[in-house]
Amino acid sequence: MLISLQGIRREYHVGGEIVAALAGVDLAIDRGEFVAIVGQSGSGKSTLMNVLGCLDTPTAGSYVLNGKDVARMSDDELADVRNREIGFIFQAFQLLPRETALANVELPLVYRGLPAKERRARALEALEKVHLTQRLHHKPTELSGGQRQRVAIARALAAKPSLLLADEPTGNLDSATGAEIIRLFEALHAEGNTIILVTHEPKLAARCPRAVRITDGKIVDDGPGAEVAFRDQATGQLRDEAHS
Amino acid sequence: MSLRVDVVEGFSIALKSLRAHRLRTVLTTVGVGIGVATLLAILGITQGLDTSFEKQLASLGSSSVYVSRMPWVQLGNWWEFRNRKLITLEQLEAVRAQCTLCATVVPLLDDDVDVSFMGRELVGIDLTATSAEWPAVSTFEIDRGRFLGQADDDNRRLVVVLGADVAQTLFPDSDPVGQSVLVGKRPYTVIGTLAPKGKILDSSQDLRVVVPFSTFRAYAPGRRSIGIGILVSDAGALDAAEDQLVGILRRARQTPPDKPDDFAINRPDQVASTYQQLTGALYAVALGIGFITLLVGGIGIMNIMLVSVRERTREIGIRRALGARKRTIVVQFMLEATVVSALGGAFGTAFGLFGAKLVSWVSPLAATVKPGTIVFGVGFAALVGLLFGIWPAARAANLDPVEALRNE
Repeated sequence: MLISLQGIRREYHVGGEIVAALAGVDLAIDRGEFVAIVGQSGSGKSTLMNVLGCLDTPTAGSYVLNGKDVARMSDDELADVRNREIGFIFQAFQLLPRETALANVELPLVYRGLPAKERRARALEALEKVHLTQRLHHKPTELSGGQRQRVAIARALAAKPSLLLADEPTGNLDSATGAEIIRLFEALHAEGNTIILVTHEPKLAARCPRAVRITDGKIVDDGPGAEVAFRDQATGQLRDEAHS
Repeated sequence: MSLRVDVVEGFSIALKSLRAHRLRTVLTTVGVGIGVATLLAILGITQGLDTSFEKQLASLGSSSVYVSRMPWVQLGNWWEFRNRKLITLEQLEAVRAQCTLCATVVPLLDDDVDVSFMGRELVGIDLTATSAEWPAVSTFEIDRGRFLGQADDDNRRLVVVLGADVAQTLFPDSDPVGQSVLVGKRPYTVIGTLAPKGKILDSSQDLRVVVPFSTFRAYAPGRRSIGIGILVSDAGALDAAEDQLVGILRRARQTPPDKPDDFAINRPDQVASTYQQLTGALYAVALGIGFITLLVGGIGIMNIMLVSVRERTREIGIRRALGARKRTIVVQFMLEATVVSALGGAFGTAFGLFGAKLVSWVSPLAATVKPGTIVFGVGFAALVGLLFGIWPAARAANLDPVEALRNE
């Protein structure tokens, strides 16, 4: 078991009231899985992704990642876990605008304290995997959206994390480029990487072997992607879109 | 990640960011630079004043002591000094007889006189009436002719020794020795001239004439308090000699045991310290102004760093998401602030030194700069950056990564 969430709650104080963005989430994910997390905006899926990525700490509950209890970790320990265990891929790419593609990919390795030579080698290897060796010294502004996202994926891969965490990775891309990125994810999954894909697009979730649906801070459905993506929550029936 | 890696990485990030915002960097640098320049110019000028004053005082003789009724630097009740008993020749004889640490003892009387020769006139010249041993006490040297002799004093001769400036003014291209000059209303024969010595705080020591003590007493009668000039046998024995003199003079003047000394023992070295006390407050104010200027520069740095943190909120979020610890972010921003202000410190040091030199060229104020001052300038500026960088850096490190990533 790579990820085990039990009774995860994340509460916020809003104007004297307590609002639970996560109201008791139980979730287990094995190594090598490719899981989509789907839900409407405001459902709590972003909060869940932040907790999974150790960017946010739960108010209550236990979170064991790769055998480590991360719910009780200090800020420094969490930074190290993010550095070693998690590769983020964001909707807005989140590259450093003044740095080259190569330097961006090297960044997590800098924070790991690797010597320059090893950093370079691992960054090149990762950029090769996303077919970007022709654009090593370009800055993000000199790259297309799809290329930028591939730099971000290379940056996530370079750290050799146990989990790739993608938050709406195709949200800022046209559909052809988006499809290209999804094919890249599928290839990475085939190589044995564990991937969690947060999305609001049913079609994307449908391509994943497994999907979980979150509504009002709780997991309400869990199963094969094609079913969870199109299941009507009220009736339990698959909607027509599934057959189109 | 080790602190060393934090620093190396932070340094390169700082340089990149400063290069990316050139105008901002230059302006911030100028702010700190002005502060450092002001501070250093003030330090240089005050140090220069002290040094030149010490040099001037040393020209009075470093192992000489001068007894007079009033102290050179008068602090306190003028009336108390005014009503003191006169210092007399008898007291001088007592010193001469009893002071074992005194090598040479000479009487001194001062006056202001007009001196003229062939229509050339000098008004308000210092007149010193003294005896033959005076050059040893005052460390004056003879340029031409000879100094006063014992016979001149014994016979109350009308002879005069001219200070260098007096000789130069009255006899621009001839030898004054043997000539007759009017000192006051009487003609005096010039027997010699003194070598030039320079100024003490802008008043020339060479604008003087020296006449025999007994001659002056005979022609300018009236009860005057004399001064006693003393050359101490060994510069190291100044304190001991002073103690001895106090005892001798109190006995000779019959000062009651419960009363303080009613005479002054003036020492050039102590005048320097009195001078420094008096000017210390002034220096403190000037330094205060310098520090305030530097403070303003520091606030400029803090301001620009807060802007920088705000602008780079997303960058901070990215770095935190990829595994940067809070400390890494703190080091990055503190280094940026430190580099800017050290840069300003370097420029400010150059300008400050130049400013101090400029002041010494266009005004009578002297300026010296000790090498340590330069290290102080750059180091202090860097420290200012470090201090004023702490708060913005802490703000950057304490940003919530999730919020920071969402920042546009």
